[in-house]
Amino acid sequence: MTKYLLTRLRQSLITLFLVSVVVFAGIRALPGDPALALAGEERSPEALAAIRESYGLDDNVVVQYGRFIGHALTGDLGNSSRTGLPVADAIGQALPVTLELAALSLLLAIVLGIGAGVVAAVRRGKPEEWLANVIALIGLSIPTFWLGIVLVLGFAIALPVFAASGYVPFGTDPIDNLRRMVLPAIVLGSGLAAVVMRQTRAAMLDSLSADYVRTARAKGLSRRSVIGGHALRNSLVTVVTVLGLQLGHLISGAVVTEQIFVLPGFGKLTIDAVFTRDYATLQAVVLCTSAAYILINLLVDVVYSVIDPRIRLGGAR
Amino acid sequence: MAVALVSLTSGCASLQSSATEVGGVRKTDERPVRDGGTLTVALNSDPDKLDPTLAQTLVGRTVFAGMCEKLYDIDEDGAVVPQLAAALPGVSADGRTVTLTVRPGLTFSDGTRLDARAVVTSLLRHRDLPGSARGTELAPVTGIRATGPLTVSLTLDHPYVPLTGVLADRAGMVMSPAALKKYGKDFTNHPSCVGPFRFVERVGGDRIVLEKDPHYYDADNVRLDGVVYKPIPDGNVRLANLRSGDLQVGDQMGPVDVRSALTEPKLQLFNSPSLGYQGIGLNVGNVNGLGKKPGRLDTPIARDVRVREAFELAIDRDLINKVVFQGMYEPACGPISPQSAIAPGVKPEDCPRRDVAKARKLLKEAGVRTPVRIELKTSTTPEQGRVGQVLQAMVKEAGFELTLRPTEYATMLAETDAGDYDVFTSGWSGRLDPDGNVSNFLKTAGAMNAYGLGDPRIDALIAQGRTVADPARRTEIYDELTRRVQDAHAMIYLYRQKNYVVATKDVAGIRVYGDGLVRVRTAGYTR
Repeated sequence: MTKYLLTRLRQSLITLFLVSVVVFAGIRALPGDPALALAGEERSPEALAAIRESYGLDDNVVVQYGRFIGHALTGDLGNSSRTGLPVADAIGQALPVTLELAALSLLLAIVLGIGAGVVAAVRRGKPEEWLANVIALIGLSIPTFWLGIVLVLGFAIALPVFAASGYVPFGTDPIDNLRRMVLPAIVLGSGLAAVVMRQTRAAMLDSLSADYVRTARAKGLSRRSVIGGHALRNSLVTVVTVLGLQLGHLISGAVVTEQIFVLPGFGKLTIDAVFTRDYATLQAVVLCTSAAYILINLLVDVVYSVIDPRIRLGGAR
Repeated sequence: MAVALVSLTSGCASLQSSATEVGGVRKTDERPVRDGGTLTVALNSDPDKLDPTLAQTLVGRTVFAGMCEKLYDIDEDGAVVPQLAAALPGVSADGRTVTLTVRPGLTFSDGTRLDARAVVTSLLRHRDLPGSARGTELAPVTGIRATGPLTVSLTLDHPYVPLTGVLADRAGMVMSPAALKKYGKDFTNHPSCVGPFRFVERVGGDRIVLEKDPHYYDADNVRLDGVVYKPIPDGNVRLANLRSGDLQVGDQMGPVDVRSALTEPKLQLFNSPSLGYQGIGLNVGNVNGLGKKPGRLDTPIARDVRVREAFELAIDRDLINKVVFQGMYEPACGPISPQSAIAPGVKPEDCPRRDVAKARKLLKEAGVRTPVRIELKTSTTPEQGRVGQVLQAMVKEAGFELTLRPTEYATMLAETDAGDYDVFTSGWSGRLDPDGNVSNFLKTAGAMNAYGLGDPRIDALIAQGRTVADPARRTEIYDELTRRVQDAHAMIYLYRQKNYVVATKDVAGIRVYGDGLVRVRTAGYTR
């Protein structure tokens, strides 16, 4: 077990190193000069030279990379070249916003998606199934941006139930926080809910026609226990796998949603950094995201290996 | 089309219950306001550094207007007036010594006193700090010293008339020497100046929070408890938030959103003409990159001025304004705004008219093969894209085939500075003194002359404009300069934006002047 863990840990570190190199090189391969982007409207040669010097843009890439990694290892992610604010602070402020948005969207997708999926499977061939399918199709097809604007018009302006934009930390004012987060969560979660609904429906249809369900029915178990206890529980394995796969989409979808609702999260931070060639912020953001992915993968593998010994033994018996 | 637009305008205007209609100038709202409350102002982008020496962006200037006063400011009519200074600068007979007097009894937000030495510290930093964005505009100032507790003497290497205008912008902001010493490079995260509000916190991309500054010399007349600036780039989203009441002020609103706002009884509109310009730059000689001597370029537009003249003659400025901007901006054909208090430029009605027949004739005389193929690099905003499409259709009739290449901002800067373009959309937010709209852009090898324009006569006129103090003479100089620039057809000025600011009706006392800043010192909620 320890040997397996060490192997996986080593692999993760190598992956992280490679990612950091790719990110670093990729950002510098973007067309456009960060000094120019920084200098904005007033760019005299002297000002440009001073900017390049103060951010070490004249050094060769290897030196710049070494400096970046050296500082990053001590927890210093540098300062944003555009605003001068510490990047670590920016990430610290943005992370809770995106995590909350993703968690709420996920919750919404699970509740709505699984509920509708079960109904569609159980009421097969009835109007309810048709309705659930149509709603799922709409959920998959509607552009996020359009849905966002429509929801704001409907539920923040015409009926001022929710706020149109902005973020208030949950700890500061839970009610106001939710008032601002519900619409973004609906926008981000709608597509995922549709995917979950379709997966649940398909898995439920499989389960409902399986032998063990027939046996359960034959034993005279209640309808509720058959559907909830037997069919759904077995169907959830597939649904959970799909949810895991969709998490990445949730994070990338957050980019657009955060733009619409002006949420100061990871997505907005990334986009702003790209457009202003804010190397320090962009490097740090992408590196943190990659590290999170790698860590999650590592944890998943460890959990799997605990559950299923065949994995860590490489399938040997 | 035009008739429909006119009826649309009048239809909307009749719904406007406040004292504005589109195009009508409205810079202030003098209704009485009560004490207290926080104002939330939406900006169209996130400002860069909150350090007057390093700051580059127009939105940043709006935030500074709330917390960093300047030696001089402008009034409603665009005239320069003293702000932290006690009077307009005294200038010696030879124009090379300028004396500034500072108002007594001023205190920075950190509680320290503002005196002549503090002014000297700030001016030196603006001029000399590596990476300063103020270096060029203060370059003619060779000596800066305090000659008394409240007097500062500036020595110039040549007479430099634009200096007063320069000191009415970021170069005239005085920073607390104590804060500069304490924070050094990190001043941007702890800015301390003299102003109605002081800095509290900044969350990048989300908000900049200011609170009322008790140290302010006129604190009794500051009614708000605080101001929050929020960057919201999308106009739709800004408008939605104004409607829902989450915001009270929307800065730099686009024509489309202003049109929608007009039908809202809860909203009011402010509008002032801008000092900047928008247009297209043509590459006439940028072969070695920005700031280098122009060279010979072998393209139809660079080879023959008649081709460029034909290109300009194919353009209908009125139509661009009507189609893309719903008639809410102004046609322009020179670098200096007709609203400028110093040497006003060409009025929209005096701009050249479209003449396709003459354009075709010029192309024939120039002996070029038509269609003349040109690529226009535009920025990625929807409005600029539409400007490009309208231009494309217009110049096609004269014999040009214009292809559009939307280019993201940082890439566009790099490519146009390097001279890697035919034509690009080019604009400037404008400066108080006309010099700030011409010298860097039109002088041979100027720091922002991406067109590769090199004309000794223009250079001479720019130099004269900076040294002649007599307003009437200055106006003549800039008139001639404008004509020379128009004849060169290297920068084709197309339109001038207006500063449209939308606010909720329960807010009064905000001021929107020609420099495009939203001033909140006297703002508050109505009683």
